[in-house]
Amino acid sequence: MEPTALPQTVVSEDRGVRPAIACRGITKRFPGVVANDRVDFEAFEGEVHALLGENGAGKSTLSNIFTGLYRPDEGELELYGSPVVLQTPRDGIAAGVGMVHQHFRLVEPFTVAENVMLGDQRDVGRSFRLHPRAIEHRVAELGERYGMAVDPRARIWQLSVGEQQRVEILKALYREARILILDEPTAVLTPQEAGALFETLRAMAADGRTVIFISHKLHEVKAVADRVTVLRDGRSIATVAAEGATLESLAALMVGREIHTARRSDDERHVGELLFELDGVTAEGDRGVEAVKSVSLAVHAGEILGVAGVAGNGQRELAEVVTGMRPLTAGAIRVGGAVLHSGDPRAAIRAGIAHVPEDRLHTGVAPSLSIASNVVLKSYRSADNSRGPFLRRRRIRDWAVELIRRYDVKASGPSASARQLSGGNLQKIVLAREFSGAPKVLVIAAPTRGLDIGAIETVHAHLREAAAAGVAILLLSEDLDELMTLADRIAVMYEGRIVGEVDAATAIVDELGLMMAGGRAA
Amino acid sequence: MNNSIIVVVIASGIAYGTPLLFAALGELLAERSGVLNLGVEGMMLVGAVMGFWAVQRIGGPGGTVLFLAVLVAAVAGAVVALVFAFLVITLRANQIVSGLALTIFAGAAGLSSYLGNDLGLAEAPARYAFQPVNLFGLNDLPILGPILFEQTWLVYASWAFVVLIAAYLARTRPGLNVRAVGESPQTADAMGISVTAYRYAHTLAGGALAGIGGACFSLALTPQWVDGLTGGAGWIAIALVIFAFWRPELCLVGAYFFGAFQALPFTLQARGVTVAPELFQALPYVMTVIVLVIVSSGIAKRRLGAPGALGIPFVREER
Amino acid sequence: MNIRIERRLSQPRWLSVAVPVGSLAVAFLLIALVLLATGHDPLVTYRDLFEAAFTANGALSQTLTGATPLLFTGLAAAAAFRMNLFNIGGEGQLYFGAIGASAAGLLLAGQSAPVLIVAMIAAGLAAGAAWALIPGILRAYLSTNEIITSLMLNYVAGLILTYLIFDSHSYWRDTTSPSAAVFPIGKSLPDAANWPTFGSSVVVPFGFMLGIGAATVLWALYSRTRFGFEVQVISDSPRAGRYSGMRTRRKILAVMALSGALAGLGGASQVGDFRHVLDADPKGLRAYGYGYTGIVVAALARYNPFAVVLVAVLIGGLQNAGSALQGPDFPSGLVGVMEGMILFTALGGELLVRYRVRIRRARRGAGAASSEVAG
Repeated sequence: MEPTALPQTVVSEDRGVRPAIACRGITKRFPGVVANDRVDFEAFEGEVHALLGENGAGKSTLSNIFTGLYRPDEGELELYGSPVVLQTPRDGIAAGVGMVHQHFRLVEPFTVAENVMLGDQRDVGRSFRLHPRAIEHRVAELGERYGMAVDPRARIWQLSVGEQQRVEILKALYREARILILDEPTAVLTPQEAGALFETLRAMAADGRTVIFISHKLHEVKAVADRVTVLRDGRSIATVAAEGATLESLAALMVGREIHTARRSDDERHVGELLFELDGVTAEGDRGVEAVKSVSLAVHAGEILGVAGVAGNGQRELAEVVTGMRPLTAGAIRVGGAVLHSGDPRAAIRAGIAHVPEDRLHTGVAPSLSIASNVVLKSYRSADNSRGPFLRRRRIRDWAVELIRRYDVKASGPSASARQLSGGNLQKIVLAREFSGAPKVLVIAAPTRGLDIGAIETVHAHLREAAAAGVAILLLSEDLDELMTLADRIAVMYEGRIVGEVDAATAIVDELGLMMAGGRAA
Repeated sequence: MNNSIIVVVIASGIAYGTPLLFAALGELLAERSGVLNLGVEGMMLVGAVMGFWAVQRIGGPGGTVLFLAVLVAAVAGAVVALVFAFLVITLRANQIVSGLALTIFAGAAGLSSYLGNDLGLAEAPARYAFQPVNLFGLNDLPILGPILFEQTWLVYASWAFVVLIAAYLARTRPGLNVRAVGESPQTADAMGISVTAYRYAHTLAGGALAGIGGACFSLALTPQWVDGLTGGAGWIAIALVIFAFWRPELCLVGAYFFGAFQALPFTLQARGVTVAPELFQALPYVMTVIVLVIVSSGIAKRRLGAPGALGIPFVREER
Repeated sequence: MNIRIERRLSQPRWLSVAVPVGSLAVAFLLIALVLLATGHDPLVTYRDLFEAAFTANGALSQTLTGATPLLFTGLAAAAAFRMNLFNIGGEGQLYFGAIGASAAGLLLAGQSAPVLIVAMIAAGLAAGAAWALIPGILRAYLSTNEIITSLMLNYVAGLILTYLIFDSHSYWRDTTSPSAAVFPIGKSLPDAANWPTFGSSVVVPFGFMLGIGAATVLWALYSRTRFGFEVQVISDSPRAGRYSGMRTRRKILAVMALSGALAGLGGASQVGDFRHVLDADPKGLRAYGYGYTGIVVAALARYNPFAVVLVAVLIGGLQNAGSALQGPDFPSGLVGVMEGMILFTALGGELLVRYRVRIRRARRGAGAASSEVAG
């Protein structure tokens, strides 16, 4: 798929000053994928510079190279005009590069000050005794300066997520980071907290520091950044000034490409009665913050409803709610008109909901158990598979052999452990199991993540088959190609809400990309 | 007045409680680094037997001999702890089973007995034993006299350790680091702290303190060598750490509480009050269970709970 | 140099046999070194042990006597540990089984032998299960770690046992016979409550046969039934268990009760097979630590019920030999040392079965170890 020819509006800053951080030709490869492909980048002191891109665009890899966690296969890195080689994250910190990760590295029972001091490599010899007062003072001072007041004596578990993030930022500032990288910082924040964060970032930039802000959210990028570099498929596409860019132009850069794959032809579609209904479904995430906000969707028999969105916008929680693994706090789920009892996976299974989870290996199967065991994970109680308290092991084994054959799974036999299967074959087993229960509804998340082309084709074929047989399918995916190919309608999820629903036949990729990045509600 | 029942109970609580305190402090250090050591009893016994051996065999003035004997006990406990540490930290073996294995290996039917009998230690009582001293000459003050000023040096040493360990954990950088290792080894590792090194160091320290606890029996309380003379004190010490919410100061209180409750019924009986001793003796265990329930419940967990990673081997990459 | 420990994807069959055998060999070697270092001849010692355990006159019978309680507590530990429930309370659950069984035997005095034996078995199972449900409930509903709670309850059970005989006038206490005036003892159970034995040159206690039966039942339960399937899934991945709609809490209770029942049966066997009285003597039932040794037996047997039978006989033999040989020439405490060493090497070997150890030289410059996660 060739990138479409787009106007390359690259703005070069004519400051006559060397950039705080610059890289040329950075390439980083992992088994099977080129995460960064000859990337050039530069950011100046006093600038807030956004790195924009979808999942897998290479943003995190690049920033890990900046901090010294990864070493590039090719290319050079320069800090303040001098070339550097960073061997470890400690080198990065010593060079003044600090990072705030998506998953915080905080010790919950400790105070803010204790977390800030932990592992500080400077003056190790002198500081056998802790001087909490001095540190609390400095933490309070830094907090004041940048508008991030946090009580240095508070314990982490007492703080809100936004406050915990401030602690992470303070950790970096305390270690005198001049270049601060934040990875998707607003993923866990409320809009108000995000606003406060942006003020902090602007204050730090005004102070002469360099802020690199990784995101997939367009309006935020426009709100806080001076310049934006867009990455796509590991390449740097363009660097533009935030002021001149529009949300549409940014979305186009982020997502734009032609879709060539086959579309479902109209005469395959036999949409039946309403089977699966979500009515104002609301649920909390792991941290006690609302992750699913009043979601209403309707899926009919034989229909595939796609849910698009960048990971982290509530899709995982939504899938968990509708399959009973997470309780509702408001709203209702109905299968064939009957209300589903919330928070009980067994009720969902009994109601005919099949679930292919995002995390195949650790949720969808028992990884150390055999394929035969995993194939009856939900159906082991049925009359087919057990006689009284005893399992009908031979029958189960035969059934596993049958499924292996039918779904063309490459495995050494039904007693091979699930862990040994490749991603594609594991997915086939999960699908085989879920379909064998003759479900009414299928909830499937990230179905082809990490799979090769052949496996993707197979999975898509199975999904089409199921739809043709009348199953109502809720398909959650980050992959727009996949959704455009398979779905009848596509809903877009952003920050826990459905911000739009379009007919797949007439959907425009750029429009979807815009919605996925919070650009507008359709 | 100094023979009143309260004074006697407290005094005996301190006497019985001191070995518990040493062992509990050691276990506390290990658990704070995330290692659950169920082999304390075995380490105490080995410390007891080797300390006793030292007292019988080392020449010199009584005070020096006793001091060296305590050192020997500490080293012996640490050596046994090294085996345990190697198993659970480097080889990532199950900590429960390893701890039990250690107790069987080193315990009353194991190494300590082997050494005790092979070295002929049961034949004679200790040449020297710790005696109560008259500190500052204040031992005849009412009530406080015998309690504070007429104890053995082991007791005073135990108080010093409580203060030192409390200060270590709360006020020093290594103390901060070890707490991080016990709560969240992944975070500590990400911040550049060596989880392995800290766990080894604290498990060995735990063994050394357990060894000293054992020496309290063979060099003070009993003072001779008998198979299994610690009588399960190591297990009580494990309970004690929980009961004390993993805080050194509370270990002191708890140790004397447990010690007193072990001795109380007999004290009462000596005064003609018949009461089933088991009731008193069971109370500390029951209270430990209650403490554990409280500490594990959602609300209290964060304020009061066990080190977050207690008992779980640390593996850096598990996909 | 970079030492990396990676989980094995599959565990080759031969490794599961080679490693335990290999570790046993290493253990014997190490023990031989210890013996040499302390001036004993290893070969003579090993030969003496073997004879005293198995081949000498009456040795095997004595070994089976010692193996019987270990068989039950070993099965109890295996049943629980297989689901990652670390029930350390086998000791206390055994005591309760003894309390229950002796009560049944005394209450039903005058009934025929089969009635008494069945009643004692039932009472032992129930009492052990009940005592194990305390840590079970605390774990299932209050998330309280079962390791410490079950451990603490061992002490409480021991104290209850002591109380019943020494410090109360309970139903179990003998108040009439002449020896009772000298020293507190329990009431003797009627003769009909004596469990039978089998064989004459080698005397096999009924309890041992019962234990083999229990091992078979446990094996079948865990490998052939729906219950066992759920245990497998939940222990492998609690998330997958929840995903499949399994009731985790109920499983915890059921498995703890099962474990306690097995240990309780061991207590019943102690009363019915060997002691015929509720024995609270500190040098009696409480001195052996059957519950704790059972855990070691289970670990060595890698939690396989049939292997537990084998290992129980082995350890029983070792302990029997140890006490038979006790004297000035034989190092006492050797038994504990041997058991410990065997377990250490087994635990170390376990690492090799579950993980693969890779030693890799760190590469400097471009590129790094390939296990980094793609960003």
